[in-house]
Amino acid sequence: MAQVNPILYLDPGHAFGLSNRTNPFMTANFTLVDQYSLTEMDLSSFNCIVVHDFADQEYLYKNKSIIEDFLNEGKIVIFCGHLFKEWLPGCPIFTPRNIQSHKDYEIFVEKQHPIFDGVSTDDMTYNKGVAGFFSRVTHAPIPANAEVLLTFHDQMPITYIDRYSTKGTILVHAGRDLFALRMQNKSTDRISNQLLQWIEDEFKELQQGGNQS
Amino acid sequence: MRKIAVIYSGNASHHRTFTEPRYKQYIDSLIYLPEFLNTSLEGVEVLFVPSQLNEKLLLQAKEKIIDFAQAGGIVVAFGPQPWEWLPNQKWEERETNFWWWLEKDAESGLVLAEPTYDLFNYITLEDATWHQHGVFWPVEGAQKLITTEDGGAVMYVDKVSTNGTWIITTLDPDYHFGSYFMPATERFLDGFIPWLAKGEM
Repeated sequence: MAQVNPILYLDPGHAFGLSNRTNPFMTANFTLVDQYSLTEMDLSSFNCIVVHDFADQEYLYKNKSIIEDFLNEGKIVIFCGHLFKEWLPGCPIFTPRNIQSHKDYEIFVEKQHPIFDGVSTDDMTYNKGVAGFFSRVTHAPIPANAEVLLTFHDQMPITYIDRYSTKGTILVHAGRDLFALRMQNKSTDRISNQLLQWIEDEFKELQQGGNQS
Repeated sequence: MRKIAVIYSGNASHHRTFTEPRYKQYIDSLIYLPEFLNTSLEGVEVLFVPSQLNEKLLLQAKEKIIDFAQAGGIVVAFGPQPWEWLPNQKWEERETNFWWWLEKDAESGLVLAEPTYDLFNYITLEDATWHQHGVFWPVEGAQKLITTEDGGAVMYVDKVSTNGTWIITTLDPDYHFGSYFMPATERFLDGFIPWLAKGEM
């Protein structure tokens, strides 16, 4: 049997995501399955589950024990989106930003991290001079001891890593799929590959008992 | 007021859009997509099919939606449609014109094809203007409401393909409003949903 790619990407099956099914970056790096397959799958060969911003969160909530059990095996879950049902351990329901000016969308680095290494905050904040694509909501308060990577100007978190709510690692990003930030000819193009590398490194750490260190 | 049921995907943007009190007051029920085939449509007058639904479940729902229209129901469909499920569907995918408004002397390329249609007592063309993901080429006898300059339909009404009424648009304000982006999409929904409940079609 062919080796499966150890990163499981739950495809919401939506129209915008259609090209992901044949995109070389996606097929090379992920095992892409329809989101509703989660309940029927043997997850033992996967190290990481990626949950997309278009995911059916009612379904995830109904099956949240699958996510929690997966994490408690020392594995990784990445969620990019706006969480409105509490299916992900420790993650609070999102709060939308109160926007008075484009400055309220500005991205700040709270902590240098390999995922965003070499990525300029301007490239995250602006797309052709327009702000707001990267993130418009926050998940706060973050779980105890979580590590915040990116924030808005008022310290509200955008991206955090939580190694304490379970025996695994949770990455939450309050925006669109970070793996979709490719081919835009700006430094945000680095994120997708750096995130893949982080998954590999983080999983090794977890397997060596490095969680919560 | 017409009795409106919305097919609900369980995604975050649809959760926001269809539970927002301004819109929810016009919505009689949300039918969770995975339960759609087991849910009765008795009494429903308008079935609202939002954008970006799961392909497999949408195609499974196709026959039931068509039966609903054949029984005289009103079906609303939002967003790009890469899968065949609408009656006489001719969808042409086009590159999305995300950035037209940044250009000098910007023109969105949208044309109000039926200015006297009742919907336009509720919304203006500007309220329907952000970007388009493609166009439809509707069946003969359908009424184009908003088009591109080359006549492709961005919104049309089809009363000829079935016994019911289909209001079909490539626009996807249900996604944009629900994800807190693009103010025009809110103005669109502020007019479109009340029209759906009580306007002339």
